[in-house]
Amino acid sequence: MTLPTTPANANTNSPETDYHALNAMLNLYDEHGRIQFDKDLEAVGMFLEHHVRPRTPEFASATARIDYLIDNDYYDADVFARYSRTFLEEFLTYAEHAGHRFDTFLGAFKFFRSYALKSFDGAQYLEDFPQRAAAVALALADGDEQAARDVFDEIVSGRFQPATPTFLNLGKAQRGEAVSCFLVRIEDNMESISRGINAALQLSKRGGGVALLLSNLREEGAPIKHIENQSSGVVPVMKLLEDSFSYANQLGARQGAGAVYLHAHHPDIMKFLDTKRENADEKIRIKSLALGVVIPDITFELAKRREPMALFSPYDVEREYGVPFADLGISAHYDELLANPRIRRSQIDAREFFTTLAQIQFESGYPYILFEDTANRANPISGHITMSNLCSEILQVQEPSTYHEDLSYAHIGRDVSCNLGSLNIARAMDGGLARPVRTAVRALTAVARHTSIDAVPSIRRANDEGHAIGLGQMNLHGFLVREGIRYGSAEALDFTNLYFMTVAYHAYAASHELAVEYGRAFTGFETSAYAKAPGDGNHFDQYLDGSLDIAPRTARIRALFERFDVALPTADDWRALQQEVMRDGIYNQYLQAVPPTGSISYINHATSSIHPIASKIEIRKEGKIGRMYYPAPYMTNENLDYYDDAYEVGWQAIVDTYAEATPHVDQGLSLTLFFPDTATTRDLNKAQIYAWRKGIKTLYYIRIRQQALEGTEVEGCVSCTL
Amino acid sequence: MAPHVKLIDRVTAINWNRLDDEKDLEVWDRLTGNFWLPEKVPVSNDIPDWRAMSDAEHTLTMRVFTGLTLLDTIQGTVGAVSLIPDALTPHEEAVYTNIAFMESVHAKSYSSIFSTLCSTRQIDEAFDWSERNPHLQRKAQIVLDYYEGDDPLKRKVASTLLESFLFYSGFYLPMYFSAHAKLTNTADVIRLIIRDEAVHGYYIGYKYQKGLEAAGDAKRAEMEQYTYDLLGELYENEVEYTHSLYDEVGLADDVEQFLHYNANKALMNLGYPALFPAEICDVNPAILAALSPNADENHDFFSGSGSSYVMGKAEETDDDDWDF
Repeated sequence: MTLPTTPANANTNSPETDYHALNAMLNLYDEHGRIQFDKDLEAVGMFLEHHVRPRTPEFASATARIDYLIDNDYYDADVFARYSRTFLEEFLTYAEHAGHRFDTFLGAFKFFRSYALKSFDGAQYLEDFPQRAAAVALALADGDEQAARDVFDEIVSGRFQPATPTFLNLGKAQRGEAVSCFLVRIEDNMESISRGINAALQLSKRGGGVALLLSNLREEGAPIKHIENQSSGVVPVMKLLEDSFSYANQLGARQGAGAVYLHAHHPDIMKFLDTKRENADEKIRIKSLALGVVIPDITFELAKRREPMALFSPYDVEREYGVPFADLGISAHYDELLANPRIRRSQIDAREFFTTLAQIQFESGYPYILFEDTANRANPISGHITMSNLCSEILQVQEPSTYHEDLSYAHIGRDVSCNLGSLNIARAMDGGLARPVRTAVRALTAVARHTSIDAVPSIRRANDEGHAIGLGQMNLHGFLVREGIRYGSAEALDFTNLYFMTVAYHAYAASHELAVEYGRAFTGFETSAYAKAPGDGNHFDQYLDGSLDIAPRTARIRALFERFDVALPTADDWRALQQEVMRDGIYNQYLQAVPPTGSISYINHATSSIHPIASKIEIRKEGKIGRMYYPAPYMTNENLDYYDDAYEVGWQAIVDTYAEATPHVDQGLSLTLFFPDTATTRDLNKAQIYAWRKGIKTLYYIRIRQQALEGTEVEGCVSCTL
Repeated sequence: MAPHVKLIDRVTAINWNRLDDEKDLEVWDRLTGNFWLPEKVPVSNDIPDWRAMSDAEHTLTMRVFTGLTLLDTIQGTVGAVSLIPDALTPHEEAVYTNIAFMESVHAKSYSSIFSTLCSTRQIDEAFDWSERNPHLQRKAQIVLDYYEGDDPLKRKVASTLLESFLFYSGFYLPMYFSAHAKLTNTADVIRLIIRDEAVHGYYIGYKYQKGLEAAGDAKRAEMEQYTYDLLGELYENEVEYTHSLYDEVGLADDVEQFLHYNANKALMNLGYPALFPAEICDVNPAILAALSPNADENHDFFSGSGSSYVMGKAEETDDDDWDF
């Protein structure tokens, strides 16, 4: 038997040769009760020295390397053919001397394990981080030398990090798609269900996660061809999808992953939730599919008034109104639906619904929640948002497709692909903010322009028309602690509001520039809130009518922005931008979405998204890397006290932080809530009610942490102590 | 073996509102909150890893797991049940029934790992091996003898040593794999088992100490001697068992250190001082750090279901919560 990381004859217990053991020492205090950060850095050194370097071939020059990689079918020749030989030589030499180091073992290990180009037999590493960044930059810049330099600088400096599918794939000859994330509607007919399953298979094969909308499907027991009690409801469709996702993965690089969304007022809602129960029957148990529930305002109102909650037959609703159930808007039509005898309904207790929801979340972390009316009120694009994605940050309008019997399209509707990338807030602030935002918007737009998802024509159409992107953010908590600010404090909230406002300003400005350069706005711009007259529902009114703070609330944050030389856009700036956008449009239908940033925040050494850290030393477990330990950025034994973790910070401060960012983000933000196991379903419900009231659009996972029973813990373990 | 196990001779309706020992409720709440079934873990995600592993690794894994299955079977059908008649309170009885049931869940979960990863022939071979391995059979026999004996305190010692010591030579392997990015979903199952066993060993050890409080000096001295003797006997056998499993892959020395560590832990649960000096309890940090029964892994939902979810405590919201 060969042990993968240790020479067979080495003593595996000796920390000198086992970098996994060194990494694990992060989670064990030294004899003075201090966290052993140095051991993790030793692990990085040892890993690079003893594992990576011996497995990395040497080349005579940077261009000799490229030639070899192109000739042997590792790099995509087209990407490099767009540049002159002289430029490539200069650029690649520059890249190789750019200087990059990994701050954590998890970051280094993850990069080489999951992102770096490897020889076909897996025995050699053909790229390091700057070389990967260079290949990605060249692919994104599409022959524009200055753009290639700009994008490279943003990535290698850690200011901008493209999402995994982009960073993993671009420049390689054997690769999946550069896009992370897809959303596909399913309508209430067999052709659409088949197309949905096809989309799950095809898109998983190409990378990224797929979310599907189930709300339109007729409920269990609904008629088929007017014969009563025929339909089997949504659960069997979920089973089909789950199996489809586990069948397809992206060259083994990423496990196929899927999510399904169902409206809270769909008659199958309780069965949908029960699929995640600990004691669910095998026939209906859903293991790996993610669930999301779409909750309108009316559900909260009914619970408040202790009124029963009516579930309406989507089959009847579609026949009565002529629109799919998901598009109707249940809050606005609730009383009308209730009064209509031709619409079958059943009733459940609204408060019990919320209790059950929280129970399932305790047991499984699911479902996500999409606050339907909140998301739609904030949506600048005309149309109705019915679902979100696998990470609950994508919120875009879609349009149903119709099919012929042979599954060809009668009408190609619009579905969603969204390519993502995130700024490291600390480094973007160091870099002046404006430039990183603008370069990132251009890089993400390049991904959208290069993407053509032929396997799902409705996605291709929407991407061609809208060029939607999702600029995200990470390392908020890291930045705050570096600046001596506590997560959730008044200063932290002040900063979050102004940071996101400034990002939004530069993102819109960049998208406006693109519209001017390409001579077109996204399709449907005219009916969007960006085109409306000022004062009459224009999207930018919120920056001019006093509904949002556009100046610092605290002296400390005013001083902070001055110190970083980051200019805050003024009302005049916004007014000017509003006029420009009304005149020329913007290129991207959607611009921002704040993803949870799992993998990329580890290789970038950032805290995830705008969450607080999960733990001082995070125990990270993934299929591809196993169980590893990750120290928070900028953490030392001296500043530990500043790092309150998510469980200590509590849900209210997290929601407050997200509520500051939300108005500036046109799509959504993945918001995980963290609870100790001593919490009850009522605590979860309170947090959900609070989030809904604060204007949060979506809630992502619930994470539960349980401390070992006193007397059973492992002594001297960092994560065991609070 | 049924005739050896005494049934309880009194039945009192259990009143959870009147507790003789608060620990019973605390442990009951923890155990029921931790209820789980193996079906929730997508072990099939480990199939690609499994296929990439060598024959020697396959054999080792299956032998380790059949060994664990045997121990869990003993503990579920005999061990925990045999403790019931000795219980001092009805609540303690209730806790043992939970322990017995969960041990059966554990035993079954190895089978569900097998049936996901291996062929029937491989499974049968591994079970054959478990019948033939003298060290494994001997450890089963030693423990069973005490379960069938008539001394309640001795039963508790045997049970604690099984829960806190004997399991761990087997737990080592999945944790080693998990630290090296292999079979991580299988490791999730094992972590859930460890989460349970840590509480079981702790609780039975605690009840042993309670029982000892009532005993006279002579009995105490006898029990202490007995504990170290039994541990010594099991330890010698366990070392040989460890070598029979791990020699081929060169991990036996590391596992031995781990045995020392856990033997000390078992003694601690029973209220006795450590036997093995710290320098020979130098467990590989990757294993030690993975051993923590805390449910605090920040797992990635795309490749697994994690090992940190618990049953939620339902509590109704009241009107104040909905005051908006």
